[in-house]
Amino acid sequence: MIMEKLKVLHVDVGGCEGCNVSIIRAYPKLMDLIELDISYLRKEEYKLDEYDVAIITGGACMNEPRILEELKEIREKAHTVVAFGSCATFSGILRFCRGGQEPRADHRNFQPINSVIKVDYSIPGCPPTPQMLRSFFKFYINGDERRLRLFKVSADIKKLSGFDLIDDILLTGLCIGCGACELSCPTNAIKLIDKRPNLVQEKCIRCGTCYIRCPRASQILSMGDAR
Amino acid sequence: MMSVSENLLGNVFGIYLARATDEEILKRKVASGGAVTALLAYALEKGLIDGVVTAKRTEGLEGQAVVARTREELLETAGNKWSIVPFASRMKAKIEEEGLKNVAVVCLPCQAQFFGQMRDFPLLESDFGERIKYIVSLFCIGTFAFEAFLNYLRMKHSIMAQDIKDIVLKGDFLEIYHGDSVLSLQIKEVYSYLQAGCLVCTDYTGTWSDISAGFVESEKGWTVLITRNLKAEELVKSAEKDGYIELRDGSHVIGDVLKAAREKLARAQKNMMYLL
Repeated sequence: MIMEKLKVLHVDVGGCEGCNVSIIRAYPKLMDLIELDISYLRKEEYKLDEYDVAIITGGACMNEPRILEELKEIREKAHTVVAFGSCATFSGILRFCRGGQEPRADHRNFQPINSVIKVDYSIPGCPPTPQMLRSFFKFYINGDERRLRLFKVSADIKKLSGFDLIDDILLTGLCIGCGACELSCPTNAIKLIDKRPNLVQEKCIRCGTCYIRCPRASQILSMGDAR
Repeated sequence: MMSVSENLLGNVFGIYLARATDEEILKRKVASGGAVTALLAYALEKGLIDGVVTAKRTEGLEGQAVVARTREELLETAGNKWSIVPFASRMKAKIEEEGLKNVAVVCLPCQAQFFGQMRDFPLLESDFGERIKYIVSLFCIGTFAFEAFLNYLRMKHSIMAQDIKDIVLKGDFLEIYHGDSVLSLQIKEVYSYLQAGCLVCTDYTGTWSDISAGFVESEKGWTVLITRNLKAEELVKSAEKDGYIELRDGSHVIGDVLKAAREKLARAQKNMMYLL
């Protein structure tokens, strides 16, 4: 059976480019499955009027109406919207923007994409690996909802970080000491001490990876109603 | 398969009853058929994997992550585990130290979930999911908050940690083999010594694994194997063909497994009301 390639739009609304690099790195192995309209390869306008999937990277600055309008436009053009990377999903390190800093002194209030438009899947990670994007499309094309459930429920969450992990899993006594969080932290903010995670607060960039990697947390999350 | 089993037991490709053919393996196993050990010995000897990472009980209920590369090393690790070691992080260190490329991990449902998610969703560059070939999850009713449990055994039953030889689940009873005698405890009595996190866990078989293994009361001496994908199915079938395990159809025990899984789910839901 010859399947038509998924038409995929990528838009970056502001971030460090890490997620974009990840998408570009993934693309060679995705070419058979998707046709990617990525900002690096187009002049101004989007190539198409309709897309199967839009991948959005970066957080939305709430004081940039242009960005907010663009997001709404993407929502209308795309059947499925995927927030890719921690800034797009949970606002990540952009939460720390407090304005007054060059070169963009006006950037002081970033929100995740789902604060502006409805998001269908949220894939956190700082940045998520190229393999992650390939996995996503594999499960998406196969319609494997069970595998994608975690990302579907994450799409309704605006904030998730090491702090939430400590609050929801450690302080409630639900931690079983498996060490998954320690391995999942890209900044080594979490260290296991006496079989329980200890968070070095200054190091947590609010990427949320530890939370969705924690077996207990992700199990409880996935039990929630996926739309 | 029934839809209820899909939800509760995850994706079920095949369900079997298996038993190791090797006397050496059977001798070390009391409760079940030793099929997991035999399967892994098969995978090691055929070169399908270059190591097995699992937990080994050191003293009392303490455990540590170990790598087994040979049948002998594998046999050393056989037996029930009742505590969780910070397995994930130790495991990564082990895999990297020993330069393993293709490992099988034997773990509990929560750990299987972590490894399974890491393999399916490699969010981090430092992930090592592609090195994990087989995830074998053991049926699990929970792990002990073992300091508390050992305290209880010492205070109430005068059993010292270092004297505990094995802990075996028999029906509704937990048998503690210590010194030369056995103490039988009602499972309900020891529930409060399980970790709170385990009391809200809904996964009995390890739905993120490739193979789930455990036992049911009605088929003593046999290991229940649930294969979840083609890769696992092939491993089980070829291990049978090469005479490492005996294999029977296990569809008649799916009800027993479901019952245990339902009990764990019900317990989790009840506890969640209190704890969350």
